[in-house]
Amino acid sequence: MAPDESPKKPRRARALIAGSLAGVLLLVGAFAAGSLSAPVASAPSTTSVEAGFARDMQTHHNQAVEMALLIRDRSDDEELRLLAYDMATAQQQQAGQMYAWLATWNLSQADSEPSMTWMSRPPLTGGDAHAGMGMSTSEPADHEPGGTMPGMASFEQMAELRSLTGVEAEKLFLTLMIAHHLGGVEMAEAVLARSNERVVRSLATSILNSQVSEVEYMRTLLAARQ
Amino acid sequence: MASNNPANPSVKEQRETKRAAKVAVLKKQQARDKRNRIIGITAGGLGAAAVLGLVLVFVITSATPKPNPDDIAIGDLQEFPGLTANHIDPNPMDYEAAYGMNPPAGGDHFGAWLNCGVYTEPQQNENAVHSLEHGAVWVTYDPELVDEAGVEALVEELPSTYVIVSPYTGLPAPVVASAWGAQVQLDGVDDTRLGDFVDKFWRNPDLPEAGAACSGAIDGPGRVS
Repeated sequence: MAPDESPKKPRRARALIAGSLAGVLLLVGAFAAGSLSAPVASAPSTTSVEAGFARDMQTHHNQAVEMALLIRDRSDDEELRLLAYDMATAQQQQAGQMYAWLATWNLSQADSEPSMTWMSRPPLTGGDAHAGMGMSTSEPADHEPGGTMPGMASFEQMAELRSLTGVEAEKLFLTLMIAHHLGGVEMAEAVLARSNERVVRSLATSILNSQVSEVEYMRTLLAARQ
Repeated sequence: MASNNPANPSVKEQRETKRAAKVAVLKKQQARDKRNRIIGITAGGLGAAAVLGLVLVFVITSATPKPNPDDIAIGDLQEFPGLTANHIDPNPMDYEAAYGMNPPAGGDHFGAWLNCGVYTEPQQNENAVHSLEHGAVWVTYDPELVDEAGVEALVEELPSTYVIVSPYTGLPAPVVASAWGAQVQLDGVDDTRLGDFVDKFWRNPDLPEAGAACSGAIDGPGRVS
């Protein structure tokens, strides 16, 4: 007979359950307390894909704005001048958004590592690595840290654009801007494959959609001038 | 029948003695249990507190952001707060007399900014200062002390946009980096303070018109990129 053993067993089991529950509660509580008291819970770091995109895409967009303003001064074709106005204001506004992300994240506007480093990093697994519409012409994988951003016009090409007027300027503008947009689409696809940051994905999706449709439009404008 | 003879205890007495012995054992057991429980609770509490502390420290440190650009410290940094930003064309400005600057690091300027880029010739101060207002960093070098390879090394260190590189005669140091309201005299092209200066001031949101264009205005003489 063991009447003094039987009441102990349920008590031990109860203590075990209570102990584990208390442990889990403590962990959850500690995590919550830590998350709430941490300064900026999850802002991207200076070497993150998000920061790399925000810096490189600003430089990329700023050149598009420069090109659009150049052609407005060099063409009197109303349709093309209006498209250029659209591009300049849209891309200037988008560049401002990326500028403000970096400021909000307490990061410097200046690169902390060579440009394009973020694009050489592997995409998120399970994410939509093939996001977008596959518009980019070059292989997204061939980028190296410090490389040129896809679609950027060279110093010489910009100088040539400045030297031309009329239809010749329009043709060069359209050729350069189609390549520039395809590069922008490639960069937007690259960040969509690598980031889950809400504001970044939202802007990258807008860039992707607007530049894909503008490429089609510019191809018809260029064909009409050949 | 009933007897008090201890040598021959009654059944009742025998039962009581047995019971007393049992009670004593039970009491001892209870005391041991109590002691064990106190040890267990204390140890568990200490362990839980340790885990709590570790988790708190881990969560807070892993989420703490990198140092703000505002907190970057630069040795021998000169700052010029509260600058005016009037357009003064066509009259040139004496930046040394007006603000104690050589070369200029902000202040009144011409309406046209200098397009950012690398120049092999000295530039008009009043145009370059307008570019500083838009967030550019102007890196001036003493052409007597910095050769072509030195200029290349400088350009390599700098961002590809919103930067002016140009020679400047009468500099107080081999290389001087200037932004709107801030300047640092560098010992040479490999002075590590240049990178910190760029991180802190290049297109800094505190500048009057940071993000305004550094292209589309005028090219000075000798622009090479």
